Amino acid sequence: MPRDLTRIASPDKPETERNWWVHVILLAVCVIAMLPVVWMVMTAFMPRDVAKAVPPQWLFPPTLDAFRMLIFEQGMLGFLKNSLIVSVSSTLLSVTIGMFCAYALARFEFAGKEDVSFWILTNRMMPAVAVILPMFLIFKTLNLLDTYVGLILLYTAMQLPFVVWMLKGYFEDIPRQLEEIALVDGDTWFGAFRRVVLPLMTPAITATAIFVLILSWNEYAFALFLSGSATKTLPPAVVIFAVNAEVSWDVLGAACLIITAPIMIFVIAVQKQFIRGLSMGMVR
Amino acid sequence: MPDAFGAAPKVAIQNRRWFPWLLMGPTLLILFVVGIFPFGYSIWLASTNIILSKPYLDTWFVGLEQYQSLIQDPDFFNALRITLVFTGSAVFLEFWAGLGLALLFRRQIRGKALYRLAILLPMVMPPLVVGLVWKYMLFPNSGLISYYANALAGLIGVAPPTFLNEPGSALQTLIFIDVWQWTPFMFLILHAGLAAIPPEPYEAAEIDGAGAWRVFWTITMPMLKPAILIALVIRTMDAFRTYDQIAVLTAGGPGNATETLNIWLTNLAFRFFDVSKGAALSLIIFVLILIMSTIFIRILSRSRIDEGK
Repeated sequence: MPRDLTRIASPDKPETERNWWVHVILLAVCVIAMLPVVWMVMTAFMPRDVAKAVPPQWLFPPTLDAFRMLIFEQGMLGFLKNSLIVSVSSTLLSVTIGMFCAYALARFEFAGKEDVSFWILTNRMMPAVAVILPMFLIFKTLNLLDTYVGLILLYTAMQLPFVVWMLKGYFEDIPRQLEEIALVDGDTWFGAFRRVVLPLMTPAITATAIFVLILSWNEYAFALFLSGSATKTLPPAVVIFAVNAEVSWDVLGAACLIITAPIMIFVIAVQKQFIRGLSMGMVR
Repeated sequence: MPDAFGAAPKVAIQNRRWFPWLLMGPTLLILFVVGIFPFGYSIWLASTNIILSKPYLDTWFVGLEQYQSLIQDPDFFNALRITLVFTGSAVFLEFWAGLGLALLFRRQIRGKALYRLAILLPMVMPPLVVGLVWKYMLFPNSGLISYYANALAGLIGVAPPTFLNEPGSALQTLIFIDVWQWTPFMFLILHAGLAAIPPEPYEAAEIDGAGAWRVFWTITMPMLKPAILIALVIRTMDAFRTYDQIAVLTAGGPGNATETLNIWLTNLAFRFFDVSKGAALSLIIFVLILIMSTIFIRILSRSRIDEGK
């Protein structure tokens, strides 16, 4: 019996033990994890009366009515475009400028370094709701309300603390000597950075960018108050279908699927980089 | 840096004192505009008595009165208690569920990649969509889960579960949904932490004949400590600020049974337009989070030093 128990604790054992109970637990967990996702996808294809039927119906003739209505009558593709523009640009911007900041914090010694890096982190702590009102008034003064520039700036600021803290750790792991060799060989600082450091950082930067892209794609509170008819992103657009007196669940399901599908497909496609990068960044 | 050949001393750009500040410049500038300004503006707002919906009222400097009235408000302690219960229970449950899953994943099992993908999906979903989908599934009587739960309760003869409709069960339901969404995150971090533990201590323990329970508490948990800390810090800070799901699912109700600090703040500022009180509350929340994270970061850096990092 004790012999058997140590096997549980020891990693990398061949599959000799009977594992059926592990599969039972994992299957149960997967069902709980997947059920809302599956039900959302099913609802999106339900005819209206099936979506609100009691008891819930698992079999029905699928229809694209909800999507047709969202795309042709509600202009969902426009919101999708806004979401894409805002989240992709803010991701590119925050990773590009955050990268240099992280590098400076990881490589150079200067007075106030600890304070700067702690202050950057505190920017993630202010509740979003608390930032909205002052930002609303500033944006109004600067004519930035309902513009891409305003939203992109705000999202970039929201992502920067995460980008800097994540990349700082990775830069610290890259040995300094590599750049010094390049500098001795007559490279400029930027040349050494581009040719030596950046290639080593590509996996870390990719993972950070993926994570940050998810954050801004999913962002709701800022978008709700600071975007308008010209720049409304998907999350505030979807809520409109949920607050009507008579909620049509099929339309809501389809709208939810339109937000979720791009980011899920994207994450499934890049899951290796995402999982490896995220876990390496946090645990070292 | 004097040159060996006697050329004019030329300091390379990366050796200049201002160089790191140049690199950090854009980041600091953006964070300054979006971080410091709202902060200062909130301090100013909180020192007056502006109510946006009543512009005809005179406004004047009230000093610290807004903070005082907040701290004397029983609603404040209600919201604080609910926020702490929500954060504490959700993070506690997520941690043990995530750790359990991560330990299961160390066994040699077929189809690991597929299981992992299914488990990770909830954390990628927009929190807003999570709220909407659960609201639909928990819709009284007709929702998927409500319907089957009612049927099951009828079968075994107990009162049907109330989920979001009763003050007693609403908070628990919200905690469950948070656990549903964020256990994958804990799992991911702890799984990576477990993978980083070298096999030698386990081999030594096996030779000594130590039982699984002792191996877990004397080897796994101590060596996992850095990963545990970072996962707890990130989750606690985020759970404390949870907004989207609660706003969609209950908006603080029924009554004020699920009114966390963040939800109360939104109600004050955007429903009652009492922006001065809202600003004061946001600063109190900020200070609370600042205290929490300072403590966390202390613990974190101490554990890093212990590890010799």
